[in-house]
Amino acid sequence: MPDSSPPTAVRRRLRQGRDRLATALITAGGIGVIAALLAIGVFLVVEVLPLFWPAGSTQAVSPEALWLPGEAADDGTRYRWAPTATLMSDEAPRISLVPLAWGTLEAAAWALLMALPLALGAAAHSSLFMSRPLRNRLKPTLELMEALPGVVVGFVAGLVLAPWVERHLAEVFTFLVLLVPGLLLAGGIRSGLPPRWQQAVPLGWAGLWLMPWLVLLLVAANWLAPWLEAVGFGGDLRRWLELRLGLDIAVRNAMIVGMAMGFAVMPTVYALAEDALSGVPRSLVEGAQALGATRWQTLWRVLLPAASPGIFSAVMIGAGRAVGETMIVLMASGNTALMTLNPLDGLRSMAATIAIELPEAGPGSVHYQLLLLAALLLFVFTFLVNTLAELVRTRLRRRYQRLGGGS
Amino acid sequence: MRVATTRRLRLPRGEGAGAWLSAGSVALSLLALLALLGLLAMRGLGHFWPSPVALVVLDDGRQLAGERVREVPLAHGEGLERLYRTGNRDLDGARWDWVRVSAIDAVSHPAELVVLERRRWGEAIGRLAAVEDDAGQRIEGEAAWAALEARLAELTSLRRARDTLRKEVILPRVGVFEVEGRLDPDFASANARLRELQAAMEGGRLILDTAEGETLVVPLEQLLSARRPNAMSPLDKLTAWGSGVWRFLSEGPRAANTAGGVWPAIFGTVLMVMLMSILVMPFGVLAAIYLNEVAHQGRMTRLVRIAVRNLAGVPSIVYGVFGLGVFVYGVGGRMDEWFFDETLPSPTFGTGGLLWASLTLALLTLPVVIVATEEGLARIPDQQREGALALGATRLEMLSRVVLPMAAPAMLTGMILAVARAAGEVAPLMLVGVAKLAPQVPVDADFPFLHLERKFMHLGYHIFDAAFHGGDVQAAMPLVYATALLLVLVILVLNLTAIFLRHHLSTRHGALTRR
Repeated sequence: MPDSSPPTAVRRRLRQGRDRLATALITAGGIGVIAALLAIGVFLVVEVLPLFWPAGSTQAVSPEALWLPGEAADDGTRYRWAPTATLMSDEAPRISLVPLAWGTLEAAAWALLMALPLALGAAAHSSLFMSRPLRNRLKPTLELMEALPGVVVGFVAGLVLAPWVERHLAEVFTFLVLLVPGLLLAGGIRSGLPPRWQQAVPLGWAGLWLMPWLVLLLVAANWLAPWLEAVGFGGDLRRWLELRLGLDIAVRNAMIVGMAMGFAVMPTVYALAEDALSGVPRSLVEGAQALGATRWQTLWRVLLPAASPGIFSAVMIGAGRAVGETMIVLMASGNTALMTLNPLDGLRSMAATIAIELPEAGPGSVHYQLLLLAALLLFVFTFLVNTLAELVRTRLRRRYQRLGGGS
Repeated sequence: MRVATTRRLRLPRGEGAGAWLSAGSVALSLLALLALLGLLAMRGLGHFWPSPVALVVLDDGRQLAGERVREVPLAHGEGLERLYRTGNRDLDGARWDWVRVSAIDAVSHPAELVVLERRRWGEAIGRLAAVEDDAGQRIEGEAAWAALEARLAELTSLRRARDTLRKEVILPRVGVFEVEGRLDPDFASANARLRELQAAMEGGRLILDTAEGETLVVPLEQLLSARRPNAMSPLDKLTAWGSGVWRFLSEGPRAANTAGGVWPAIFGTVLMVMLMSILVMPFGVLAAIYLNEVAHQGRMTRLVRIAVRNLAGVPSIVYGVFGLGVFVYGVGGRMDEWFFDETLPSPTFGTGGLLWASLTLALLTLPVVIVATEEGLARIPDQQREGALALGATRLEMLSRVVLPMAAPAMLTGMILAVARAAGEVAPLMLVGVAKLAPQVPVDADFPFLHLERKFMHLGYHIFDAAFHGGDVQAAMPLVYATALLLVLVILVLNLTAIFLRHHLSTRHGALTRR
């Protein structure tokens, strides 16, 4: 060993000591950081416990008050969230968490209803039909869409989309009705074109050239809506909905929340579902197509059965995001704690309630602890959902390795 | 029979219905994204473009002058209604005028209409009648506009001189006085100079004839800017647009956040994000190294790894609740009892502030950094580590000389993703320290220069506040659009950098995958 200064025992021990010290520091620091992260759950539990087992003379809150119907109030609702009502009147505060849980789940359900067809359809299209250059561009584009801040989406939904939809309710419904036949019509027209023209609008790039077609559909919906309203709904859809179906219509409503949050959740679900679909071993797809299956048949009979756990976990993670999203619900929902199935009425979610009320609630008060309980519920729910999704995905990865064999 | 069913299952050509419906979902998502970005860009940037001022004559003989904002169909198909921004809030109490389109007799765009921006009451629109000084000298006609422009330029330079004087000479000396109780001899002269400047700004007024036929007297010292949009050439408009954008970026908000700029919010956002990165990076990298390099790779580590991944999916508001309960009420309250006893019961650290906000966001972005760094570490082949160890390096040397430099781009990606996430997060900040309007920026010339306990302004919260809590939402809308566009641009640039880095990384290390 041509070393100018051979390592003495002292130097070696110094180096090893330093190494041992560094390892100890890294271990301590790593465990500390991870413990701090996991402390969130512990903190919430510790703060919420006095609610049910109070230390002093204060009355414990019974789970029945939170989840079971109370006495009917003046307006007939048996579940009410009004934790500070005592300041205004001698009425006891109503602390039913049911309307908040309802609002949270309703918003998430509408968001998923909007996001899932878009995300899963896009994932299927990009893994089967889309040309490779477009697919390589689409992924980062949708990642950017995922990164859009909730406050911006919420602002556009609450102050731009909501008033617009309120004025153009009939147009929106007409567009939704026209959407599916319109897209099929595009496909039909294309297959009717001469082959040379067909090459100008290839299926691989349909995600792009269908955009002007959709704008055209929107224009058509705008044009058809008054006619549809006159024929089917007595000239005014809003009045028809209010009178015939007895629906209350709020400007900021569950449907707006669903659209905005669906927009926010869609890229997450898309990314995970696309990963699951493109992770299916190529040999299976090629085998199915060699046996004469069309690409769509391959999707239904081969890809989906193989990737279903991955798709399930994508949906779960999307649901977790939709349940916890705060700013979009806060800005687009009207924050009225109602319990209706009506998509045109307002709602109030747990996350939005925490954001509005927690700064005003005194630390240690029952109101504060109730809000922390809501936070704990959100934490537990999203944590469980994500863990489930993660476990499913790990299992799926192992299955792919088995299916793929050597490749 | 079987043959027939298979045949019927397949359409004669093409891929069937599913292909088109799924293509439609791609197109619809992209269209929604495009529409959102286009809306923000158009409204956000369009606001600064000087729009023409219309002089509208109604069929009942009433006249009004204003910028056309939008047109809305009336209920029950009774034609259209048009919204004009007419300004002159001090005269009729309203800044907006809804006009039925069928009631409009004539619309013209006379060149002599003037739009004034004032410090109070917002805009004023009308014809410039005269400019008067205190001596009663009155300038009328075309000369009045020239005199107004000259005086405005003078005012601007006076204001700038006053602000520099106040910031650089007077405030530091006041600080010294508060601490040492002695006044610098320069102080009196500087104060006198300040009063001189103030006096030079006062005096003079402007007389405006509004379209409604009333007369508005505006003290010149109240004026911020004056322009005649109808007489401007495209080049003038471009200049005005540029200076409008610049003022939006560099000035503070006015009129309860419905006018002015967003400089304090930009500053607050950037400062908070920087503090957060300083806090999150060492800890995140430390935890990732521990998980990937030091810890025994068993069932426990796998569970911890899944847990950390899942924490990235926990709603941000939950982190905000944790920050409020632990940092603000817990640590902050204790610190107030120990160190800031004399100011109690008004809290110093026991209320939301810059430090607590950055700490909360650091916690929120910790999983992002850990996951990204771990991915980078896992991508380094084991041969590299084994080679280093075989050459006699200790683990510390192996980590610091071989592994970490190779994982540096991954850490950078993690940091950029964390910054992008933190810059857009508003919900937790509402609990731990953001302010509607913070008069003091958290950095100034007073010791200790960086005031961690102060509240700060944030772009995202500014959007929420101006759009939902302002008095005149209609007036705030253009600024909200502009702020939203700014926030989106910042986040897009950060994310694009991360995507680019990741791409660069995967091509560089493509050959070196461990699995």
